Amino acid sequence: MKTAYIMRKEIRESVLTSKGFLWYILTSVILSVLSYLFLTNSELSLLDQGQMLYMIMNFVTALGILIGVVSGSDAIAGEIERGTLEALLLSPASKTEIAAGKLAAALMNWCIIFVISIPYLFVVGKGGQNLLSGIVYLAVLGTLLAVIFSAFSMGLSARIKSMKNSLIVSFLIFLLAGSPIFLSAALRTTWFGRVLDLVNPFADAINTFDSVVVDSQGFSYQTGRIAIICGYAFLSLLFLKRSVSRLEM
Amino acid sequence: MIIKVENLVKRYDGHTALDGLDFGVEAGDVFAFLGPNGAGKTTTIRILTAIIRADSGSVLIGGHDVFKEPAEVKKIINALPESSGYYEWMTGREYLGFFSDLYEGKTSTQDIRALLEAVGLHGKEDHLISSYSRGMKQRLGIARSLINRPKLLFLDEPTNGLDPIGRRDIHDLLIDLNRKHGTTIFLSTHLLDDVNRLCNRIAIINYGKIVRTGELEKMKGKGTIDDIFFTSTEGGTL
Repeated sequence: MKTAYIMRKEIRESVLTSKGFLWYILTSVILSVLSYLFLTNSELSLLDQGQMLYMIMNFVTALGILIGVVSGSDAIAGEIERGTLEALLLSPASKTEIAAGKLAAALMNWCIIFVISIPYLFVVGKGGQNLLSGIVYLAVLGTLLAVIFSAFSMGLSARIKSMKNSLIVSFLIFLLAGSPIFLSAALRTTWFGRVLDLVNPFADAINTFDSVVVDSQGFSYQTGRIAIICGYAFLSLLFLKRSVSRLEM
Repeated sequence: MIIKVENLVKRYDGHTALDGLDFGVEAGDVFAFLGPNGAGKTTTIRILTAIIRADSGSVLIGGHDVFKEPAEVKKIINALPESSGYYEWMTGREYLGFFSDLYEGKTSTQDIRALLEAVGLHGKEDHLISSYSRGMKQRLGIARSLINRPKLLFLDEPTNGLDPIGRRDIHDLLIDLNRKHGTTIFLSTHLLDDVNRLCNRIAIINYGKIVRTGELEKMKGKGTIDDIFFTSTEGGTL
């Protein structure tokens, strides 16, 4: 119950302050522009619907992770810097309950971004055969990635106790996770590229989207990558729990 | 005894903040915890309120071991930290409501209103905290620290930065709390005027050790509170 009250406070803070609301506006604007370009630009409109859907899904996932990184970095270190954490620690809520409430709120941000993206996914992917399965995979893998990056950033912010520094480190890890996607197709087919793709949860999610939406492959093709993403989610939650239990002012 | 501290040690990166602290506080006391800057006052309060752990030693609060039963301790205590921040986007009423929700036996809306009135924030309860002055925020912090009707209240420099009227109001509020409700007050300060006005017992800490403790009235026979403080903390910085 205490977790729920902390989550409610965090969500109110996100929605009522410009910090959080800006993300939602930005998401809508960027998705509108992307969708408009996909549907009207003569070159982009040559892409099949699966490809368009895949690109929008990648963008929504990246944005969800980015929001997770920012809200995770602010969660503990931001409260320390604003001098509000001590009052929270004085309350009967345990450190784990506080972290769980904050993590749940960060995931709620991802849920809002996901809900905002649904009409755009329908507009871009309508008529395509894999639209619904694409949305389901986006919901599940996007949530798992949001858990991974939010929990990791939050754990880091509890250890570093500086919002700026934890944001920089988390953002660098986010860029590192995104970098294999920018590798050339030739490099990605080598054993090195494959290993890099496999151990990277972000690349695993993107490759799963590609496999489901573009190549129309079934669940049995995805289990290995999904298991790796689940493993990362478990490890990041463990990291968060250990980091907050050691938290000292 | 509501607080019993024995041989408390806390080290930070090789620096010994508390070096075998021993003292006790009786229920109903207004206990002044004095010391120069960096003497270990805030560290002691953070350990006593179960926010940080000590390296060794024992602390009993109301008979509960603070390291083994922090949840039980948090039910009977509360505190106003030295550099307390506030959720500026909330109103005073929402702020108290949020903290009240975190306790079992939630405070009613009427009680929250009464609490805000008691600290002199009547009429300002629905204003955003960002519009409050420093003194108003300090009053709100005190109201927050009373939300669970604590038996033991820790206050870390509660009148720092307040004007004389604000200080007098907080003094009156604390006297009222102690006399009418029997709340034990643990007051960390280096404002000796606060001590003279409010406290019946004192302990002076310097370099992480208690250098003097006892009843204020008895100590006053040996000089003013200023004399006692300065002779006890030679080498420290006020």
